Amino acid sequence: MEPSGLSIAFSLLTDPAVLGLIVAGTVAGVIIGALPGLSSSMGVALLLPFSLYLDPVPAIALLSALYCAGTFGGSITAVLINAPGAPPAVATAFDGYPMALKGEAGRALGIAAVSSVSGGIISVLTLLLAAPLLARIAYSFGPPEYFALGVFALSMLASIGAESPLKNLIGGCLGLLIATVGIDLTTGVERFTFGVPQLLEGVQFIPVLIGLFAVTELLNQARHLGRESVIAAMSALRLPSREDFRRVRSTILRSSGIGVFVGVLPAEGSTMAAMIGYNEAKRWSKAPEEFGKGSIEGVAGPEAANNAATGGAMVPTLALGIPGSATAAVILGGLQVQGLRPGPYLFEEQPTLLYGIFLAMLLANILFLFIGLFGAKVFSRISLVPRTFLWPTVFALCLVGAYGLNQSMVDVWIMIVSGLVGYILKRNGFGPAPIIMGIVLGGLIETSLAQSLIIFDQQWSGFLRQPIAAGLLVLAAVSVGGRPLRKFLGGLLARTAGTARRG
Amino acid sequence: MIAKHRMGRIGAILLSLAAPLAGAQSGFPERPIDIVTHASPGGGTDATARAVARGMRTALDADLSVLPRTGGGGVVAMSYVNSRPRDGHTLLAITPTHLFAMARGQGPLTIDDMVGVARAADDPIVVMVRADSEVASLAELVELGRERPIKWGTTQIGGVDHIAGATLADRTGTQLSVVPFAGGGEIVTNLMGGSIDAAGLNLTEALDQIQRGDFRALAVMSEERVSRIGDVPTTVELGYDVVFSTVRGYLVLEGTPEDRIQILEQAMLEGMSQPAYLDYLEGSGLEPGSVAGREEWDGQVRRLYRDARNAMIALGIIRAE
Repeated sequence: MEPSGLSIAFSLLTDPAVLGLIVAGTVAGVIIGALPGLSSSMGVALLLPFSLYLDPVPAIALLSALYCAGTFGGSITAVLINAPGAPPAVATAFDGYPMALKGEAGRALGIAAVSSVSGGIISVLTLLLAAPLLARIAYSFGPPEYFALGVFALSMLASIGAESPLKNLIGGCLGLLIATVGIDLTTGVERFTFGVPQLLEGVQFIPVLIGLFAVTELLNQARHLGRESVIAAMSALRLPSREDFRRVRSTILRSSGIGVFVGVLPAEGSTMAAMIGYNEAKRWSKAPEEFGKGSIEGVAGPEAANNAATGGAMVPTLALGIPGSATAAVILGGLQVQGLRPGPYLFEEQPTLLYGIFLAMLLANILFLFIGLFGAKVFSRISLVPRTFLWPTVFALCLVGAYGLNQSMVDVWIMIVSGLVGYILKRNGFGPAPIIMGIVLGGLIETSLAQSLIIFDQQWSGFLRQPIAAGLLVLAAVSVGGRPLRKFLGGLLARTAGTARRG
Repeated sequence: MIAKHRMGRIGAILLSLAAPLAGAQSGFPERPIDIVTHASPGGGTDATARAVARGMRTALDADLSVLPRTGGGGVVAMSYVNSRPRDGHTLLAITPTHLFAMARGQGPLTIDDMVGVARAADDPIVVMVRADSEVASLAELVELGRERPIKWGTTQIGGVDHIAGATLADRTGTQLSVVPFAGGGEIVTNLMGGSIDAAGLNLTEALDQIQRGDFRALAVMSEERVSRIGDVPTTVELGYDVVFSTVRGYLVLEGTPEDRIQILEQAMLEGMSQPAYLDYLEGSGLEPGSVAGREEWDGQVRRLYRDARNAMIALGIIRAE
């Protein structure tokens, strides 16, 4: 990787036609990301056939720009209508939508844009400087490590929503149950498929997501239909202040680190990164009680993490030829169709192409900062649209989104049922967040546990002999037991102090 | 490179054959042709289908689209194709997954409904270990497997690499402790990281690691050696008749008019002889010999089906009737 590669790539990208493609990819990415049901992996797959007619550098630049922008786009609808446009934006809705309800849509979107761009740029720079080195991390993560990581992520379950820990646990179990549908990887046995072939590969995540968030919210809004709609203040268009950015600075940095790391792991992508980013933002926050009610840190945490994961996911994709996420897998296909074989050789033989990809991703990030910040004022007007017009439109979008994924009516029914179930649960004080966590993590935890036990010859103690896995499990134990332990110790101290005084 | 030119010539000959035929049977294709896949957009099956469609489009001068009908290990795609008229406008992209689903009796179609058109990709399974492993040959792996179970990475239970590994174990009297993973990439990282002892991976999935010396290829599960790793013996050479590969090809259903099948076959072969398709094969690490016409492909489909069925009966996955 000599500097000449960088300068050649730079001159290639400053070609107006290529620049135009990157702009188009970014704009298309934001729109595709924002539409529920259309995710960046779908968008990249749709563009793949067109990219065949381009040269390798512009083709891959276009796909990478769309990937970066698509991950950001999901946050727009997550904030405005509680319908995460793509799975990675799911955690953004936890606090983004409550902010929009409070009349702070512009503030939430602004924070989302700046966090996304910061996360994205940090991850591209990491990719540029340390890709071959980071790629080695992928090798040290086997099933035991994934199991421990999953348990660690799940350990925040009890405290993720604003409701009672017990209800969160029940919701999490429901999610884990949904995750068991389909053919079990380790035994090949069909579970809860009821003879429906579409269920053999499990319940699709996106229809459940659309149902639990958007349809549930639609039903919720319908209940208030008779009431006069609140004239939302024009403060909805206000962008975040400098003070806001100061408050989320450390959250952005922490989440970017988490995002790059989780993104590098081949089996995990932006959604998991966003979940952990959100959890850690809450854990380290000075005001954890605001989470779930519209905390700007709750928006910055997942947004920085999911965009950082895009650059992270490109690390194993380019350096090892092993896709780091679903979208990266499609980009890998794009490289192969171009006659290029990603892997260790790519770094030695094709530095120009690699720098082209890095620069395109960097450019896409800067571009959607402008789209995001200027767009925030325009997009946030959506929250001023009367409910009677807004929500039927959202429902139509949801139907198309759920159907379009696999052109399957089964998915549409899954979405509607999830929406109804979500509504009943919401009226009884259950939030969607724990259910979503259960679905995202259930498959990972179960599969990696089964794989680990085969590898350890069914000896559970095997986990303790793996340093990374053991470390993560200890962290999980601390995160579950930490607060009660502190309370207990605090109580003990107070009592001893009391006894001492009395004595 | 030589192979590339030869393919080009074959294509030119086929083109001259196809032209009058297409003229004689005017009216076909009368509407766009669909290639139905079971894979979601972006995966290997999808990428191959799109590369094939691109070449066929110019060869046929007709519109073609790739239609994903995902789910149920190919059953959804097969049901969809079964619902379409058998007039040559619907092609089914097929992989071992479909054949195994059929062998298990899933879906509306049987092997007798299938008429091969052409093969687009042939990716043999290669038995490999990490380069620093004490195992230096297939014979040594067999020896190890008789002492203790080999931790063997595969993709889903009942998939082609599982059946391949299990068949090899059955023939050699070795024990496998099968560790299933969600995909080839995960197997590569786990073999590299040392969680598993050995794996049967598709050549394209681990070509880089083999060429760089990270993995040691012990045997290719094919009849003939593959040029990219020409020094690696085949299972047949070593005395085990265990031949498995991930193939991707196209079929129409029984009852499709014969002249239309011929037009489709010729258009497909011509499209796949163009430089763009050969570049695709090169980029994904496939052999130029991946492309095969109807006769070879149709025979291979039936052989794979029979082998898989026998293996599944032997493994107790299905019962013999």
